Amino acid sequence: MIRRSLVYAVIAAGGIVMALPFYWMLVTAVSPAPDIISFPPRWFPSRVIVDHFQAAWARAPWILYYKNSLVVAIISVGLSMLFGLFAGYAFAVYRFPLRTPLFLLILGTLMVPVQVSSVALYVLLSRIGWVDSYAGILAPNFASAFGVFLIRQSISAVPTDLIEAARIDGAGEIRIVLAVVAPLIKPALATIALLLFLSSWNDFLWPEIIINSERLRTLPVGIALFKDPYGNIDYGPLMAAGVIATAPMLLAYAVSQRFMIRGVTLTGLK
Amino acid sequence: MYRRHYLHAYAFISPVIILFALFRVWPSVQTLYFSVFKVELLRQRLTFLGLGNFLDMFQDGVFRQALQNTLVYAVVIVPVSAALAMVLAVLFVEEFRLKELFKAVYFSPTVTSTTAAAVVWWWMYNPQWGLFNVFLRLLHLPPQPWLLSSHQALSAIIIFSVWKTLGYNMVIYLAGLQAIPAMFYEAAILDGASPLARFVSVTAPLLAPTTVFIVIYNMIFALQAFDQVFVLTGGGPANSTNVVVLELYHQAFQRYRFGYASAEATLLFVIILSVTVAQHLYSRRFEVAY
Repeated sequence: MIRRSLVYAVIAAGGIVMALPFYWMLVTAVSPAPDIISFPPRWFPSRVIVDHFQAAWARAPWILYYKNSLVVAIISVGLSMLFGLFAGYAFAVYRFPLRTPLFLLILGTLMVPVQVSSVALYVLLSRIGWVDSYAGILAPNFASAFGVFLIRQSISAVPTDLIEAARIDGAGEIRIVLAVVAPLIKPALATIALLLFLSSWNDFLWPEIIINSERLRTLPVGIALFKDPYGNIDYGPLMAAGVIATAPMLLAYAVSQRFMIRGVTLTGLK
Repeated sequence: MYRRHYLHAYAFISPVIILFALFRVWPSVQTLYFSVFKVELLRQRLTFLGLGNFLDMFQDGVFRQALQNTLVYAVVIVPVSAALAMVLAVLFVEEFRLKELFKAVYFSPTVTSTTAAAVVWWWMYNPQWGLFNVFLRLLHLPPQPWLLSSHQALSAIIIFSVWKTLGYNMVIYLAGLQAIPAMFYEAAILDGASPLARFVSVTAPLLAPTTVFIVIYNMIFALQAFDQVFVLTGGGPANSTNVVVLELYHQAFQRYRFGYASAEATLLFVIILSVTVAQHLYSRRFEVAY
């Protein structure tokens, strides 16, 4: 009993520390300016105001940032899943010359992060005129090696009899992939899509490199660059911007946290 | 019998292969190639330098500092985050109220954008009104400069990154714990082993494969650290938090020294590759058969 309460105390104290930055962001975002710099600190705002949100809203086009993040995430997740499904199927089901070398080539790209190849990728894209465009942000994310790998693993677990039966029934290969195999591995596909969405949504370095104009900024770029021009003075609007940038994802997470945590665990363990 | 499927096979993999060849493999090869040139993008000119970029790099105090910071950052954050995560995961095996809620709270930084989270921490590290110094003042301790001090800034970034990575590592450890058969604990309890003894002689050794995965995975990510440094310090003060990716970002995209930045990227790649190879050599040794 004592042991259990000790465990509980440690977990709860740690939990408060983990949640504190989110709580403090929210409190700062809705507190009047004198509260923000008062000592001892005001853990609850003396009154809740929306002025900081209005200020943050006036200073940056958040709707546009959201749209950009969504467009990039939806296209990159959609194409990665589509290409990944067919490639994963081919690697799991067919035997063909160069199968292993080509699969290793795809996996090999996991070892060269965009951080490493970004310089040459930028040079390449500047030659084909993709700098400062959606296509430029998307270029390294049209397909996902991680996705191909995980989809192949899932399809390997599908009984070959099912695929053979569909063939005997006269189904074409494309139909087998879309109508037989994909529904069977739906949970895995949902998990992989979620992970790809998260990594696209939170991606910063590559969009920051390839985007020059404000109209193409994604949320992570928008919030990082929002911080700079206003310096050390305006923490209220800055935290309001933080809430604007993080709240939807945190809410989506709150609704689906079991699914998200399980998904990350499954893929983390390969 | 598979021969008739060759056409399908190549058709199905070709989008991925073509996109990867173009946007991942080719730039990677080009990075190696550029690393021995002076690259002038606008004049479309390459001047061969041999190992010149690499020699310059190792003579440049800024790069050496960035490399050192990156290694210190990785070597500190990985064991700290992994050890805390392991202890938390073991505590989370107990049943208690609101367990799922707490798990969700620990995991929440993982799903948050690094730059957005770092903006919040930037405010918390404010030397005048930030939360960290507020706590110190409440405890009657002297306030600290945090991000403004070249002695403390890297530590401040490490604390942020522990917060950011802890939940993910904890969840991976929880999955590792679930894979340990209960009979080992039953046997240990029959032998009269205390909870601490059970942790030291059953849990920790049987978690070794999970630990190897977590250490390698976190190490590779730590070596690529960029977002949090960009937001929290921009590499300062006095270069004390500069890291390799930030340095190559500066060289390439602010000073347009693409060849030199490619040499820095090449070195980073070699370091990441050695960590990955070390994983393959090492993880075999830790394989456990139940």
